[in-house]
Amino acid sequence: MEPEMVSIPRLIVILLLASLSANAAGQEQSWLSRSGYYRISFESDLKPLVINQIHSWTFHVETQDGEPVVGATISATGGMPLHNHGLPTDPKMTEDLGDGDYRFEGFRFHMNGDWELSVTVDLNGRRDTVVIPLTI
Amino acid sequence: MSSRSRPRSGVIIVAIIIAGIAWWQFGPRSPHSWSATDIEVLASLSIDNLPPLPLDPSNAVADNEDAARFGQQLFFDQRLSANGQVSCATCHVPEKRFTDGLEKGRGIGLSGRNTPSIVGTAYSPWLYWDGRRDSQWAQALSPLEDPAEHGGNRMAYVRFISKDDAYRGRYEALFGPLPDLSDAARFPANASPLADSAAQDAWAAMAEADRHLVNSVFANIGKVIAAYERRLQPGPSRFDEYVRALTTGNTEAADDILSNEEILGLQLFIDEARCTECHNGPLFTNNEFHNTGMLSFPGDLPDRGRIEGVRKVQEDPFNCFGEFSNDPNRNCPELTYVRTGIELVGATRTPSLRNLGGTAPYAHKGQQQNLADVIDQYNRSPLAMIGHNEAENPLGLSRRELRWLEAFLGALDAPLATPEEWLTAPEN
Repeated sequence: MEPEMVSIPRLIVILLLASLSANAAGQEQSWLSRSGYYRISFESDLKPLVINQIHSWTFHVETQDGEPVVGATISATGGMPLHNHGLPTDPKMTEDLGDGDYRFEGFRFHMNGDWELSVTVDLNGRRDTVVIPLTI
Repeated sequence: MSSRSRPRSGVIIVAIIIAGIAWWQFGPRSPHSWSATDIEVLASLSIDNLPPLPLDPSNAVADNEDAARFGQQLFFDQRLSANGQVSCATCHVPEKRFTDGLEKGRGIGLSGRNTPSIVGTAYSPWLYWDGRRDSQWAQALSPLEDPAEHGGNRMAYVRFISKDDAYRGRYEALFGPLPDLSDAARFPANASPLADSAAQDAWAAMAEADRHLVNSVFANIGKVIAAYERRLQPGPSRFDEYVRALTTGNTEAADDILSNEEILGLQLFIDEARCTECHNGPLFTNNEFHNTGMLSFPGDLPDRGRIEGVRKVQEDPFNCFGEFSNDPNRNCPELTYVRTGIELVGATRTPSLRNLGGTAPYAHKGQQQNLADVIDQYNRSPLAMIGHNEAENPLGLSRRELRWLEAFLGALDAPLATPEEWLTAPEN
């Protein structure tokens, strides 16, 4: 009885922590682009996201209805608004993996703190941007 | 009334002064209490968390001991210069943590910047204050042909290795036969695309295939020097011992390792002074480029820094993409995704903060005479002469806090992890 009573709040804490750490490397969370054309999520090859290591991401792009967006062009820029500087690298889309997945290489973060990534998806001229906040 | 209260108020004032002095001396008490997050940050700076040396696939002999021994000989050999008096160790003095104690390096002439240490640079994707080279071996080639440093030319260096029996033997054991340089019409005495105009003309007159032969041997000279330099690694300091004690729960022992001032400086370092924004990781550097408003000497033009370095590293024939790399895959993520942009104007590479003791002056032109000056720079945060000072918010620390920070930096001094035999000129 007693261990079970204790374990429920503990479980909540564990789940909360698990969801937070998942967000820090992408996966579960997704963001809707400004005009609502695309829903974007990402997964980092580097888990957890730590500073000073160059690594790759996979972006997943869907329509609002959950249909994978295939054949789009994606670009990403970013920086730390508080420091008035950008990413130390110029990451680029290197492969359209199909099924709404796009490989992106060359990410590196060189400071801990709050970052913002601006990701633009362009499918046949339908461009839309999403800003992904990221705390490292 | 008034005549009785005067002495009493005097006593109170004196008591307050004594209490103030006592607080100033003994106020900040140990043992210092760190939060769990603090301890995580401290552990991230510990040398115990330094990852294994990254491989350098562009250098086939990077981890070859014979190459390192050969490189050590070349590093200390003054014959590798135009006047026979300059070696790598002229500016990278082992007793001075592989720096020279001068504002700007002095070889044959006066170099343009302060001599950075070599220790731990095998971990950096970029070399030089402006990152204009992308490997230790490509970097090692550059001073050899700089008129202010070794002042020679690649043709002469290749000829020198070829003529010295001991060096020829060592070279050929590693890389195979040296080219036959006996035909003076094909291989002049002096030739290089970078040296003086006579050498440049001679280089231009050489056949493409012959230039390639000379460049290959020249690149290999850099590669053996890099095999040596790769071994120069920092050792554990009192700071690392302190973190080790903290992370093993040995808090009381920890407070015997660092002084109270050093601990308070460390707290500021990771917190209010925001030093770890750039000086992070076990080497206390993010190996990136930042404009922190370091002013030039009066009358000196401001240094354009990384914005020029990016262009130079992309054009460097000895870079990671170049034909002299030994990596068949040309796997060069840093160079592939290198970034340029206006914010890199006046930006210089974040130096490691390990082993700063005895290496003054500091900063890219040696314009900071001591550590107190460097720390004060961030406290004042002047406008950059060119570009934009990223550290634009003055820290606003008190003089006492600045002293604590300086005290902490002293706790990062330690003997190198590299065995003594590598730290002096080898016996031939």
